Amino acid sequence: MEANVARRGELSWRLWALVPVVLLALAVGGYVASGASLAGLIGTNPPQADEFDIRRVEFKPGEIRIRVTNPQQDDLTIASVTVDDAIVPFLLDGPGTLGRLRSSTVVVPFDWVADDPIAVGVTSSTGIETVEEIPAAVETPGVTAGAFLGYGIIGFLVGVLPVALGLLWLPSLRRVEQRWLTAFMALTAGLLAFLGVEALFEAFEFQAVVPGAFGGPGLVLLGLAASFLTMTFVSGRFSGSSGGVIGGAALALLVAIGIGLHNFGEGLAIGTSFAFGQLTLGSFLIVGFMVHNVTEGLGIAAPAADGGVSLSKARLAALVAIAGVPTILGAWLGGFVANDVLAALFFGAAAGAAFEVVAEVVRYVGRRDPAGLRSAYAVGGFLSGIAIMYATGLLAG
Amino acid sequence: MPKFTRRRLLAGAAPLVAVPVLGKLAFDGNADAASRTLQTHANDHAAHGHAAMIGDSAPAVGGPNDLDALLYPPPALPYEPGRVREYTLRATDQEIEIAPGVFFPAWTYNGTVPGPVIRATEDDLLRVHFVNAGSHPHTIHFHGIHPANMDGVFEVVEPGGELTYEFPAKPAGMHLYHCHATPLKKHIHKGLYGAFIIDPKVPRAPAQELVMVMNGFDTDGDGGNNFYTVNGRSFYYARYPIRVRRSEKVRLYLANLTEFDLVNSLHLHGDFFRHQPTGTGDHWEYTDTVMQCQGQRGVIEIDFANTGLFMFHAHQSEFAELGWMGFFDVVD
Repeated sequence: MEANVARRGELSWRLWALVPVVLLALAVGGYVASGASLAGLIGTNPPQADEFDIRRVEFKPGEIRIRVTNPQQDDLTIASVTVDDAIVPFLLDGPGTLGRLRSSTVVVPFDWVADDPIAVGVTSSTGIETVEEIPAAVETPGVTAGAFLGYGIIGFLVGVLPVALGLLWLPSLRRVEQRWLTAFMALTAGLLAFLGVEALFEAFEFQAVVPGAFGGPGLVLLGLAASFLTMTFVSGRFSGSSGGVIGGAALALLVAIGIGLHNFGEGLAIGTSFAFGQLTLGSFLIVGFMVHNVTEGLGIAAPAADGGVSLSKARLAALVAIAGVPTILGAWLGGFVANDVLAALFFGAAAGAAFEVVAEVVRYVGRRDPAGLRSAYAVGGFLSGIAIMYATGLLAG
Repeated sequence: MPKFTRRRLLAGAAPLVAVPVLGKLAFDGNADAASRTLQTHANDHAAHGHAAMIGDSAPAVGGPNDLDALLYPPPALPYEPGRVREYTLRATDQEIEIAPGVFFPAWTYNGTVPGPVIRATEDDLLRVHFVNAGSHPHTIHFHGIHPANMDGVFEVVEPGGELTYEFPAKPAGMHLYHCHATPLKKHIHKGLYGAFIIDPKVPRAPAQELVMVMNGFDTDGDGGNNFYTVNGRSFYYARYPIRVRRSEKVRLYLANLTEFDLVNSLHLHGDFFRHQPTGTGDHWEYTDTVMQCQGQRGVIEIDFANTGLFMFHAHQSEFAELGWMGFFDVVD
């Protein structure tokens, strides 16, 4: 009897939890049904911006393809299209009137001039023109085997190869003194902190040009939190019995994952830039990234050297793959489908991963060598990591 | 679209400090880009070139005779002392379609931009009843010779108000009228203007008479025109070429009511014409291109030498490609 009462009490408590939901639904329904009367009461109802979101502009022989999305509440109609301030005939691959967040592709038969700057404009039925300026018209690679292979090679050169080379420092690192190893670990943390800040600002830059409907700064936070917390969860599983601090091979794996996420963003940016003619596919850039990313291999090698466990060749290869292969995936994604929303999300994720790994490395050094965290080796190593990145950046600028 | 920012480039170039020789590679990379040859894609221009937009391929609004009332002026009447010419102009707020699917919230005289052609013979008494059915104060300011209180500057007509302008029409020529309420730029570019023809007492030679008012529409309010037209619809005369007979002179009354851009122009393909600035005086220029400042106008007389399709357009290529382009279809 008593159990029954308790169960009934529990049931009614659960039912009661539904009441706010039901009332909210009623309130929302009532408001929606009342139409625009609230705006009428206040006496102001500013018009919608009627601007399109131009997601992607592709150049094919004799043709320009413009992917547009409606970012606003009201419907938007594609009425007129211009190229370099001239009205041009166009076809639509998709609807002409776009509901909220719906997309369509405007196909413009056009004799564009290779390597010249070009501006495309899409005008709504209310006469508002959204213009996208392209610094140089370059034929957008199709999803061909050649382009696929090309982006793959770029990803391999700037991602996989340098990380593998950096890992070759592992035997040397195994022989250095503990305090110097601490310095290298701190250097790793410094590099990652720098990359994290870079990625975060990159993410906000992409987010800034994303129309409001696709998310404000919260979009970046979503990417950042998702990767940070996923990494935290993964490291928790790794550490299991060892009291929450991981080291050695497991930490090296975490660093590899963090660097891998960062390299994914890097590949994305490189792929997109090549696809849209914003970068010359010059040897300078490729070689620059190659040398730069060797330090990432060093970052993985430092914790691995500290584990005292020798890693099999297969496991080393796996670390290289985890850190480097995402560059290839990113380059593919960037080259063929990327847009601002994805970029903001991925750079946010890259930042989150970098920060999480910094935290893990610091925790590990602190646990392993409590005095070492405040030693000149740790402090100097961390600052060196940041300073090297910053100073070289200044010189390059 | 994702862009490769300077910061990423810096990060990528970081190792340069360790490997200075890369600097040379940087220059090589740039040289590669610069030496790439300028290549255009060989395409069939006729398939999609702007110049070839004619007939159904021209993006223009409406049917073939929609703008006849603006293109063909009321006939000139022979001089007759003491005659009164009466017109009624209603200012209205009206959304007009200026290009396919593009709507402009215009202020109009009698529902069109430009407004109707007003025509009188020199010394006719002109009586124009003005009704302001719009939501803002308006006036009508006529170019020509008239008393100060008929000038449409001081006598602002409030919404719902009326005013009758009355004055003898002079001098003979091609003139114009427009609203002179402030802010002036807004009231003109919204569409309150039209052609005002005063025929000389000694009539001009018989001709096929046409009126073209050049204008532009700033649909996104950024102080620059998005569409250019004659008589209010972009590419309209490209879609519906103006048919004229070669045997008879064509007389074109041309005015420029374009806002924002300082000048507009008309260029005729395949022939020359005589141009009389403001439609007054004895000075005629023989040319194929005339330029008009804002508010300038003139009379053009064409004796076509050949039959066929002859393009006309603003010689500002930008205006032409934003709608100010059409064709004469000259037939025997």
